[in-house]
Amino acid sequence: MSLRPFIRRSPMPGLGLSMGITLTMVSLVVLLPIGALMMRGIAYGPANLWAVIDRPRVWAALLLSFRLALLAALFNLLFGGLLAWVLARYRFPGRRILDAAVDLPFALPTAVAGIALTALYVPKGVLGGLAAGIGWKIAYTQWGIFIALVFVGLPFVTRTLQPVIEEIDREVEEASATLGASRAHTLRRVILPMLAPAALTGFALALARAVGEYGSVIFIAGNLPMKTEIAPLLIVIQLEEFNYDAAAAIGIAMLVISFAMLLAINLIQIWSRRRIGDV
Amino acid sequence: MTALVAGMLALPQTGAAADLLNVSYDPTRELYRDVNTAFAKAWTDAGHPAPTIETSHGGSGAQARAVIEGLDAQVVTLALGGDIDRIAAAGKLPADWQSKRPHNASPYTSTIVFLVHKGNPKGIRDWGDLIGEGVEVITPNPKSSGGARWNYLAAWAWAEKNGQDPRDFVGKLYQHVPVLDSGARGATTTFAQRGIGDVLLAWENEAYLALEEMGKDQFDIVVPSVSILAEPPVAVVEANIKNDEQRQLAEGYLDFLYSPQGQALAYKHFYRAWDASAAAPEDVARFPKLDLVDIAHFGGWSKAQAEHFGDGGIFDQIYVPK
Repeated sequence: MSLRPFIRRSPMPGLGLSMGITLTMVSLVVLLPIGALMMRGIAYGPANLWAVIDRPRVWAALLLSFRLALLAALFNLLFGGLLAWVLARYRFPGRRILDAAVDLPFALPTAVAGIALTALYVPKGVLGGLAAGIGWKIAYTQWGIFIALVFVGLPFVTRTLQPVIEEIDREVEEASATLGASRAHTLRRVILPMLAPAALTGFALALARAVGEYGSVIFIAGNLPMKTEIAPLLIVIQLEEFNYDAAAAIGIAMLVISFAMLLAINLIQIWSRRRIGDV
Repeated sequence: MTALVAGMLALPQTGAAADLLNVSYDPTRELYRDVNTAFAKAWTDAGHPAPTIETSHGGSGAQARAVIEGLDAQVVTLALGGDIDRIAAAGKLPADWQSKRPHNASPYTSTIVFLVHKGNPKGIRDWGDLIGEGVEVITPNPKSSGGARWNYLAAWAWAEKNGQDPRDFVGKLYQHVPVLDSGARGATTTFAQRGIGDVLLAWENEAYLALEEMGKDQFDIVVPSVSILAEPPVAVVEANIKNDEQRQLAEGYLDFLYSPQGQALAYKHFYRAWDASAAAPEDVARFPKLDLVDIAHFGGWSKAQAEHFGDGGIFDQIYVPK
């Protein structure tokens, strides 16, 4: 039996070489570290892994991380999408500055963002003071974590949707209007389906970023076990105790849950592509 | 292209004969800035070639991990003996390192005191006042901060000496903590700059530093009746010594910390040192006497760590009811 070549010969020149380089780089940068983490978990044994994960404090932290990441990503989907729409469709003074500002959460060290957000939202801070006036605590509660996660996730949705919105032909909307559709109808039946795949991508990216976020959150979270302690902090705590296996166990749990969520999002994306066709 | 990337990733080369890397923890930044300058002068005055001394600061546990994983430190000056024990367990220095220098290898010590708002509005005098109605206490998370472990043990020691159930008392204390920062500097910021809480449990040297930086008109230091003798120890990392010249330098550097000049610097930076002969009298007079319990009382770090702060240990039980 002859071995089938891994990659069939293609009429495009240079495929073998570029594929080789790509696979090497992806392995070095992404697959090897994750593989090492998984190996550590396998060596530790599934029973031990489960013993580390199946504790109220770890469950509370995992639940908190994923729940708030999901809420923040949903918030970003809505408002990041709106922001993308405004930036792509309207011309107004200061648009370019606003457009550039969207990328700032990417550039700013997350710890710096966390400290700045904390300073703003503590009861003595500018916004925290206003909130305290109506009896609302933000910093050192789950609200604080939510705000930090919204901050770091916002650009993902906006930057994924913006080019797609810019590409939508005005004529499509005009056609819809000439055929007697209301604006809401046009939005729902014409615009949103075209945006759905990109929106899902942006949502997935924002979600993934929020789940693993550490630097900005620990400053504003308060880090109280069972209340405002995020899962990445638990990993750092285990490392602080030189407990590498337990740290790996929580890391693996996060990886598995994230993978399941991203897979689900991808399936929805495939399904929605099929339903409305490629855009 | 490859050369460019390699150039950008290149690390500063250390390890020449007269180089020394001291891996330390966060609050010693100011101390070692002075020590490095003074030592370099003393060392060249004694006829040695001028040394290059670098000091790296970070969380004590994270610094210990970095050394275990290959950070090329010749000298470690960390917050807890337990952290250096970990480096010893990894085979980088002998297990009996702590007996190699006087005073459990701690050239200076510190303790845990309270920092309160000016005029002490909540009337906090001792540990028992911390669990009073409406008092908010700021301390970092003992699971992630070495300093916070000293705070916790100091509270425990007070309860023992005052006929209270220590576990119950410490448990109540942590119910008065609204924010658990991950490190000591973060907790100081939360208290001093964010204005959260009524009292900060702090290293004595950090408390004085906060007074000096933020102004004496804002905070007062309250010294409790009982506290803990915090011993931040020092050691030479044998496995990272490349030659005799470097060994001599590393030993000389740590010996300098015990010299009258080194001790005077420790006093100046608000540490309780041992030899006051060269220190400024006002630096020494600053420290009130109090009842200090040491880590041996808790059976040493390896026992205290597992019993109180390990997985499922007492601290976990205080927070997560079984």
